[in-house]
Amino acid sequence: MATANASRATVPVDLLERPWRFDVFARWPVLKQLVRLRSFQFLVILPNLFMFYFFLIAAVYGTPVGNRNIIIVFVWILWWFLLIALLVPLASRVWCTICPLPFFGDWVQRRAVIRVRPGKSPGTENQFFGLHKRWPKRLSNIWLQNFGFLLLATFSALLVTRPIVSAVVFGILFAVATGLALVYRLRTFCNYVCPISGFLSLYSMTSAIELRSVDKNECLKCKSKACIRGSEKGWACPWNVYMGKLDRNNYCGLCFECVKSCPNDNISLFVRPFATSDVAMRGYDEVWKASIMLVLAFTYSIVLLGPWGRLKDWANVSEARNWGGFAMFGGGQALLALVIFPALYYVSIRLAKWYGRADAVSTRDLFLQYAYMLVPMGLLAWIAFSVPLLMVNGSYIISVASDPMGWGMNLFGTAEFPWRPLWPEWVPFVQVPILLTGFYYGVRSINKVGTALFPDRDQRFRTLVPPTALLLGVTLVFLRLFIG
Amino acid sequence: MPEAMRRTEAAGVVAVIVMLVGLPLLLWWWRAVALPHRYPTGSTIIALTAVADGGVWTQEEVIGLNYWRTAPTRTGDIPLAQGNHVVLRLRSADLLHSFAIPILRLGPVEVPAGHTVEMQFDANRAGVLTFLCWQVCSPEHGSLRGRFLVKAADGDAAW
Repeated sequence: MATANASRATVPVDLLERPWRFDVFARWPVLKQLVRLRSFQFLVILPNLFMFYFFLIAAVYGTPVGNRNIIIVFVWILWWFLLIALLVPLASRVWCTICPLPFFGDWVQRRAVIRVRPGKSPGTENQFFGLHKRWPKRLSNIWLQNFGFLLLATFSALLVTRPIVSAVVFGILFAVATGLALVYRLRTFCNYVCPISGFLSLYSMTSAIELRSVDKNECLKCKSKACIRGSEKGWACPWNVYMGKLDRNNYCGLCFECVKSCPNDNISLFVRPFATSDVAMRGYDEVWKASIMLVLAFTYSIVLLGPWGRLKDWANVSEARNWGGFAMFGGGQALLALVIFPALYYVSIRLAKWYGRADAVSTRDLFLQYAYMLVPMGLLAWIAFSVPLLMVNGSYIISVASDPMGWGMNLFGTAEFPWRPLWPEWVPFVQVPILLTGFYYGVRSINKVGTALFPDRDQRFRTLVPPTALLLGVTLVFLRLFIG
Repeated sequence: MPEAMRRTEAAGVVAVIVMLVGLPLLLWWWRAVALPHRYPTGSTIIALTAVADGGVWTQEEVIGLNYWRTAPTRTGDIPLAQGNHVVLRLRSADLLHSFAIPILRLGPVEVPAGHTVEMQFDANRAGVLTFLCWQVCSPEHGSLRGRFLVKAADGDAAW
């Protein structure tokens, strides 16, 4: 798992009060039969692979105008909105189930697109091809994903307006995923490199579903450990996850191989309450991820939704060609995400320790434990930022669906559908409740962690005050941006 | 490996290969075969793309692959024969342009960024037909013009 070498939290997840969960596979066995089909993942990836392949062709041979090219409109307006506002909160990493990026890597590593190869490769009961090396331990975290996402975000004005730039980035991701699969074992790319996977891992913690063992004791008794080692029925977990210890969504890519391979029929999909289950951060890489995502939601809101023309010019270097301004923008954004905001959070934790007289808990542990409050806050801030993008630009989807490359096709008769913002005057009324929901879940989560850490109610309250004040400050800054 | 699984695997591989090869072929077929069949037989199909940077109407493809690294070549005089049925496929590679052939009182039609707009006419009149962008689109708007040279059917060069 990605944070195997990271510092451990003081509050094991098992000590936290477990919310209810509902066994989906027990209620609807047909779903279980579906995911147990050997061809299940192939069948859900293939249409997506087709779409991405089409997007890449459209980016290269279609119009260079972003809002008339399917790669820009479908990826950065439709897909992004669906991912951040629906898939992640409701269905965890289900995007990873259908993601086409690792398809060719899996193919060369397994020399199969559907079937399983029983056999022996180090650590598994499957036959893999390629060099099958171990990923360096010091890179076994999400720091690469953190920096990769921040870098992409810095050039986002180019990425989300220039089809060819999107194609180059996705092409590189395809190539890196395939190359790493040839050299390293399992889904090294997804676990440690993919910048999209990084934020999915963080925000899937809030999700309303989880794939888990039905009975963990059954896993402890299991001799074969087929979930992580594989079997003749399923591949070894591409994410290198042992279901007996899986207690968070972060590093489970929902490929359902474990459901196929478990000899005890002990893996199931559960529905659970939103943002109340996986509340433990396990490493600084995850905390910084939360900081980066929150700050990016802030800077994107300023640049894309705000009225500050000069900042827009700085960010949009391809139009304004102001490299000095762009350096200021990129450097400022990185400084805010990597230094200033984490420093503010650190100060709030030091104050919490001092005010709550929490000498029994180290600063580091409290820093990690309370950081989860930034996760629902960040996710809901992203949703609040993304909803108006869809409301304002959603009509492009209708026209581009008919003429995806700007070639003059009119597949559904809607190619000339005009740009028509959808109730733009309602944008703030949509954003504010979403943002306040994020604040609510942030406060609720640290209260839950605080309850496990500090049995004394007064002490708990005192430790909660400074981080809650920080969260309130973040919320007010966003409110200022959204409603002026 | 059971025979059924062997077949499933083979079907999966074939599906991927068909997709990888078939999609570009399908798109090529649409451009090269299906599109010309939309128009009356014998039509002269001319694609013109407006580019604000340089003020250019070009017959070159301005696509994602090349727009950022090469300056498109301004189209030269475009020869037509008198009586040709002409289909113009007008595009804009950047911002809102418009197109008109004033001497024929054709247009102006708006050519929004990224759209393909069609215009058809019969080149019944021999001579020079100047076309141009009809609205101030950019600092180099004035350069966005070109000419069709319609050769008379009886062989006389009317121009």
